[in-house]
Amino acid sequence: MAKNSTTNHNDQKQRTSNEIRDMEYAVETFSLTKIFSDWWGRDKVYAVDDLNLQVQHNEVFGLLGPNGSGKTTTLKLLLGLLHPTKGKALCLGGDGADPKISARIGFMPEESYLYKYLNARETLDFYGRLFSLPPKVRKMRIEALLDMVGLKAVANRPVGTFSKGMARRIGLAQALINDPDLLILDEPTTGLDPIGTRQIKDLIIQLAKRGKTVLLCSHLLADVEDVCDRIAILYGGKIQSEGKVKDLLLQTNKREITTGYISDTVVEKIKQIVQSEQADCVVTSPMDKLETFFIKTVAAAQQRGLPTSGVVSDATTQISSFLTSQTTKESILDKLVSAPTSQEAPTEPPKTKQVAPVDTSEPTPDEQLLSKLTEQAKSATSKPVVREQEAKTKPVETKADQQEQIKKSILDRLTGRSTPKNRRREKTGKSQGDSSDA
Amino acid sequence: MKIAIVFIILLLVLLPVMIVSMPGDGSLKGRLQTFVSYGLSLTSLLLCLLTIVVSIYSLTNDIKQRQIYTVITKPVRRFQLLSGKLLGVILLDVALLLLFSAIIYNITIYTPKFFNAGKAELTSLNNEFFTARAGLTPAEVDVTQEVLDIYNKLEETGQLLPGSSRKELIELLTSRKQLEKRAAAPGHELVWEFNNVKPIDPNQSLFIRFKYDVSINPPDLQVFSRWIVGDDRQVKYGTKIETPIYTFDRKDLIRTFHEIEVPADAVAPDGYLAVGFFNVPLNNTVVIFPPGDKLAVLYKADSFTANFLRAVLLILLRLIFLACLGILAATFLSFPVAILFCLVIFFTGTISGFCLESFDFMSENISGVYSYTLRPLIKLLPQFDKFNPTKFLVPARLLSWPLLAKAAGLMLCIKALLLLLLALLIFSFKEIAKVIV
Repeated sequence: MAKNSTTNHNDQKQRTSNEIRDMEYAVETFSLTKIFSDWWGRDKVYAVDDLNLQVQHNEVFGLLGPNGSGKTTTLKLLLGLLHPTKGKALCLGGDGADPKISARIGFMPEESYLYKYLNARETLDFYGRLFSLPPKVRKMRIEALLDMVGLKAVANRPVGTFSKGMARRIGLAQALINDPDLLILDEPTTGLDPIGTRQIKDLIIQLAKRGKTVLLCSHLLADVEDVCDRIAILYGGKIQSEGKVKDLLLQTNKREITTGYISDTVVEKIKQIVQSEQADCVVTSPMDKLETFFIKTVAAAQQRGLPTSGVVSDATTQISSFLTSQTTKESILDKLVSAPTSQEAPTEPPKTKQVAPVDTSEPTPDEQLLSKLTEQAKSATSKPVVREQEAKTKPVETKADQQEQIKKSILDRLTGRSTPKNRRREKTGKSQGDSSDA
Repeated sequence: MKIAIVFIILLLVLLPVMIVSMPGDGSLKGRLQTFVSYGLSLTSLLLCLLTIVVSIYSLTNDIKQRQIYTVITKPVRRFQLLSGKLLGVILLDVALLLLFSAIIYNITIYTPKFFNAGKAELTSLNNEFFTARAGLTPAEVDVTQEVLDIYNKLEETGQLLPGSSRKELIELLTSRKQLEKRAAAPGHELVWEFNNVKPIDPNQSLFIRFKYDVSINPPDLQVFSRWIVGDDRQVKYGTKIETPIYTFDRKDLIRTFHEIEVPADAVAPDGYLAVGFFNVPLNNTVVIFPPGDKLAVLYKADSFTANFLRAVLLILLRLIFLACLGILAATFLSFPVAILFCLVIFFTGTISGFCLESFDFMSENISGVYSYTLRPLIKLLPQFDKFNPTKFLVPARLLSWPLLAKAAGLMLCIKALLLLLLALLIFSFKEIAKVIV
């Protein structure tokens, strides 16, 4: 019986991977239109208007737009939660409401709507059962996911008592329980602290590297900018602008040079050279993103062992140790992805294998930063083994040393040795203030 | 669901209080009858309300709180979601019904031990309460031919009443003739024949339940009578007497029910039994057996336990029907409206017999329109009053498996299934997400 189902699963996987090759797009809509009409049937609002959207496989696609521009409605149409008035929406080449298709989709709604009397583990178990995952795989994935989102310590608490950020983490975990090919995220980072946001963003990047397709909608521009390959900006239910993030944002008429520390005389020389080209030149020291600064500060506080109110802080530590350290994260994701693979080796898409080595050899700047962070964060985890290792490898001075560094960097910023060059910082500040969306 | 806990506690407290506080007519039998009647009715009512609330709440709340977003986008078909909800409610119902019916049953069974009842009282309790008696009523005598003969005779002789149609006259003659068949003048007798009398134990008793009506009230409102019960074919055809024939000389009050206890061995092996009534000339009045409360032969056909079990199953049928109704209402109505809708149907269902009768009566003049419009709709309502378990348990009447099957067929296989299909249809085309722009 079990064997039979395995082979079935195998066949299905084989077939679906063939289908994927045949289909050009992971998500495609054909003049998708959704009109909300009033009680008398008169057209009221064009929520989505003649939308033609194409998301390629293995792409992180961001839907942007102000409140009420039709982002969430588009996602709901894709998932079959709403019926289109006109047009068609295809997910992975089929109807998103079809169980065969939805078995390969992970969806995280704009808020985590959870059954509040179930605890975290039961919640994930419930969703795992909906995918009729075999008990072994289910159990393994649940543990891995709980670990990944950092809620293992509170896995037996009813989710009704969770803070918004913790609920979001469970929401993310449930979206990943079936190891989806297509991940649809509605406002993935709202309600999360900057560390959680960072982790989700890293996770999205990691998943994309593993050959998954991610479609997310958000109005937190910084998040979108960091993770998306392509974006579309919606307004009034229509695409106003679409393309690769790099192409859209690249200022071709300007150049930026980043160097190590150089003396003022060299700066003057460079200025002269630039002026001889008849171009303006501004020299400043680059600024950290507020996010990076925040993470540093929190990590420092954790290192000092300051008391915080409970679980979120615990979780943060665990997550950061998790997501930022390349190897640990790999193993978790590997576990998740390879859950069926243990039974069916050949079905693993080759993409992942190709990507993985590149991945480790060339970590992105963010990851470098975060891996630095991990070292600090690790020391704050409750595991005594880790603490021992830290103690061995690092002399006691490091603590004070780092604190000094941080203090210095704070002072640097406070004394205004920087100019308002950092566009990102402005954006982040602005968009984080405005976090509600329809 | 706090409401469930409130209901459960309410029942747990009320049931034991009821047996102590409600003496009924004073006798132990009356006390038990009152307890079973009120206990089961209360359990049924509260569980019905609970079922309605839970089935509606579980779906509407999922939609309102949007937990359904993450469930329905998983590989779950919509009918699976609905049947899951339904199954959950039914399981809850089964568990609660088991609990409460077990409590009621045990209290009922053990009460006689606490109330030091006399031997006579215990015997009557066993015969008239802790039993499940099947009742047989004699078939209406077919008088059509006789009536036609009389009519033709009257027509020939020209004695027909002027100004009346043929139909009216026939009706009049029929009712007169039927009355004749139910009446015994002084010195005359009436014989009823019963087939398929099958008492489970020939050593026990069977009962003849009757009520007299009279043409002229006797001075003390009592009627003298002689009843002969047994297999009269032995006498008629002069065969060997194998089963005893019993005779009872009695004096009974008119217009109230009486029961004659007859040893069950009076029944012939093939289930035949004749009951004869002789109107003693002393009475000087015509004794009539009213058509509404027919004479009946009652015999123990099953145990109280089995009857009680079927009564509980009857309640379960009702609960399952209501669960389907609740699910249907939840697919297209919001919580409070759905509750109201279900309650209206529930309460009309409990008086559906009355509704049918009164509408039948009121719409005699527009019967054509009525019978094709309103009547089928009322018929579609559940008939909770027709299949009311206390109606059987209190007079210890047999609630037979075929009757239960009929109730199941009508209530579940037809009506509940229709509701469920309708719910499925609505739900599969429903837009789950709320309209937000």
